[in-house]
Amino acid sequence: MMAPPALDLEHARLDRDGRLISADSRLLQLVEQAGGGLGQPLPHAPLRALVGLAGRLGIAITRKLTLADADATLELDARAQPTGEGMTLALAGWHFREPRRLADVADFTACEAGWGWACDATLALTHLSPAAQAEIADPAAALGHFLTDSFRLVESDDGALPMLLAVASRRPFTGQRALVRQSQRWLTLSGTPQLDAAGGFRGFTGVAAPIRPLRGDALLGAGFGARLDRSLRAPLERIVATAGSMSAEVDGPLAADYLGYARDIVGAGRHLLGLVDDLVDLEAIERDDFAVEAEPIDLADVARRAAGLLAVRASDARVTIDRPKADEALPCAGDFGRALQVCVNLIGNAIRYSPAGASVWVRGEADSGRACVTVADQGKGIAPDDQARIFDKFARIDPAEPGGSGLGLYISRRLARAMGGDITVDSAAGQGARFTFWLPEGPRA
Amino acid sequence: MSEESAAEQQMLPPAARALIARAAGADLRAHAALDGAIRELGAQVQHRIDDRTRAAIERQIDAFVNAADAELRQRATRLLLARRLPLVAEALNAPAPPAIDRLAAAGLLADAELVGETLARAQLRHLADAMPPVDARTDGDERPSLLVRLSRSPDRLVAASAAGVLAGESRRTAAGEVTTSAGDPLPLPLHTRLLWRVAAALVARTPLSGEEAQALERALAEAVQRGLAALSDGDRLEASAMRLAAAIDCGPDELQPLIEEALDDRRPLLFAALLAHGLDMPIDAARELLTDPDGERLWLALRALALPRDAIARIGYRIAEADPRRDVEAFADALDTVMAIAPDVAARAVAVLRLPLEYRRALACLAR
Repeated sequence: MMAPPALDLEHARLDRDGRLISADSRLLQLVEQAGGGLGQPLPHAPLRALVGLAGRLGIAITRKLTLADADATLELDARAQPTGEGMTLALAGWHFREPRRLADVADFTACEAGWGWACDATLALTHLSPAAQAEIADPAAALGHFLTDSFRLVESDDGALPMLLAVASRRPFTGQRALVRQSQRWLTLSGTPQLDAAGGFRGFTGVAAPIRPLRGDALLGAGFGARLDRSLRAPLERIVATAGSMSAEVDGPLAADYLGYARDIVGAGRHLLGLVDDLVDLEAIERDDFAVEAEPIDLADVARRAAGLLAVRASDARVTIDRPKADEALPCAGDFGRALQVCVNLIGNAIRYSPAGASVWVRGEADSGRACVTVADQGKGIAPDDQARIFDKFARIDPAEPGGSGLGLYISRRLARAMGGDITVDSAAGQGARFTFWLPEGPRA
Repeated sequence: MSEESAAEQQMLPPAARALIARAAGADLRAHAALDGAIRELGAQVQHRIDDRTRAAIERQIDAFVNAADAELRQRATRLLLARRLPLVAEALNAPAPPAIDRLAAAGLLADAELVGETLARAQLRHLADAMPPVDARTDGDERPSLLVRLSRSPDRLVAASAAGVLAGESRRTAAGEVTTSAGDPLPLPLHTRLLWRVAAALVARTPLSGEEAQALERALAEAVQRGLAALSDGDRLEASAMRLAAAIDCGPDELQPLIEEALDDRRPLLFAALLAHGLDMPIDAARELLTDPDGERLWLALRALALPRDAIARIGYRIAEADPRRDVEAFADALDTVMAIAPDVAARAVAVLRLPLEYRRALACLAR
């Protein structure tokens, strides 16, 4: 089975002294942003350490690295390979750490799960926990044999086999229905792929849970978000990944029309993924028992980080973000992850509605017991009649406008209010929009 | 040290001599570290072993004691009912605080061997979990993992031993799920001691006295003996792994790919068995090398196997990277020094590990 091509692999060459000889554009940009450049040593200490270690050991080394500057955090897989002339460096992954989400599907699955299993790259079983005995009389006898000898994998309603899709996409899967041949009982398998340094498939580790009959109201009741997430995220991620590799022309050049189609698919797929995220959040915040942590946080720091997370998106849109200075502090009480989510939503909206070349201002101030962050843009503004409506569920002022689910501001305001604060807007058509997110002032973090 | 090896060491560069000297002191340090772990389990001090390891040890010991508790009670109950002593059986099965509480209060968690065994198991598990991703296969060939391949070997001894290791690892990985104490037995002396202690705790928690108490003690003693009669040290996963290593019995050339693949497949115990077989040492000693944060003895052992530099670099990197207590940079610094030591010199430097564990413990006790 061929490994799917890495979508965002960037290479660089270094000389024997660790100086950069050449680099692909994005990697070079990363280096230059951190104050380095061609002919100079790498500016990021973790990368220098990796290269140094690979050089001294004389072997190729891959590490998951976290590169952080003042406010953005980038996670990637870095591989250093010594060569005769020095070192080659390959960076893949390029994942900007996002605000955390409430519903982590894998955790849910593990909680309700019955027992653990694992298999190798050929889908031969390498682990069955003792509790599997309830289904398979002799787990030891099943080990070393193909998973399909013990389980009949059954297609989901859309005709797909989640486990096999996961082998192809190298992504975790949930909801693989399986019939245990011995006990004739139904299970749901979920699993996480084990990957080698190049992203090649090395097997799964996972859990198996008995299928319980669904209650009539279960689909729309509690857990709807988790189910939605489970059933939509994997196929969508696969669509985005496949279309992404098409648009990157990894298998060779494509006609311009098709390149455009592929990019449209990526865009639409990402939009739908965003919608899944929003719906999962929606389900959570509308539950009666929804509560948000109130811990001492620094809202100016949160706003700076949010601006940092969106720096790449802003630069793609040719929008400048003017964010709070590094020494500004706005102590208040709230949940760090949720406050970050609100700021990312507000700044993301501002970028989306800004014309190219415009600026987005992010300002912090303390005002009569409140820590406030104001996000102002130079977009077309919001008419007074629409200002109340934008916080409604599924509100879209201009349905023709691309992007957005109409849930972001609704969720953000619910989150702000759950933390004892709020979001307000003031704007006039043609004058840009100013959103203010405030939280109750608190002790210094 | 013999005169021959003393003379040998004089020929070595100073860094290599220092490395060998540190390795020689590691045995004592390892025993001292175990003492620290024991103190902590007893006293709940937060420092020397991390929370995750302590929790894993406690969970394992809990699982062992609970499994032994359930097994002994079940067997003794059957005996008591056969002897028409239903009231005694009832007292044995009356709701009571778990045996583990009583045993912990009586110092079970200060049993050096029990803590050492569970600590080693927990540390190997963490090592396997934390291994960095393996290099992609260059041949593009997708083949079954090592143990699966061995379990399909035409050599029936190899196939059966590999199947035994696969099954044993499966039972052990799910430490919280131990359902019978014989499922993943402790070393036999330890297992024996534990069963007797649980039996004593079971008696102590009943309000019985006189003849009834004696009847209960007799039934529990029989239950322990029957449990032990069915066990041998050969049932241990470590013994299965050693049987597999012996069945493969690979030469030095075949060892390198095998031992690296064991690590790539996150099977540190199989790695330890191959290392132990290659150097003719008990598997517990090889396991100790994998879990000892001072790396010198492990690097010397790998060198003693005459593995090439890049193999030692890869193995050392994976282990050092996976264990936050180890220093991967220090390993990189030491690699050339290790390679400067001839394999036979390295083998003699770790020869003490070939001695039985009990004897090494006795030596460490004397040296204190």
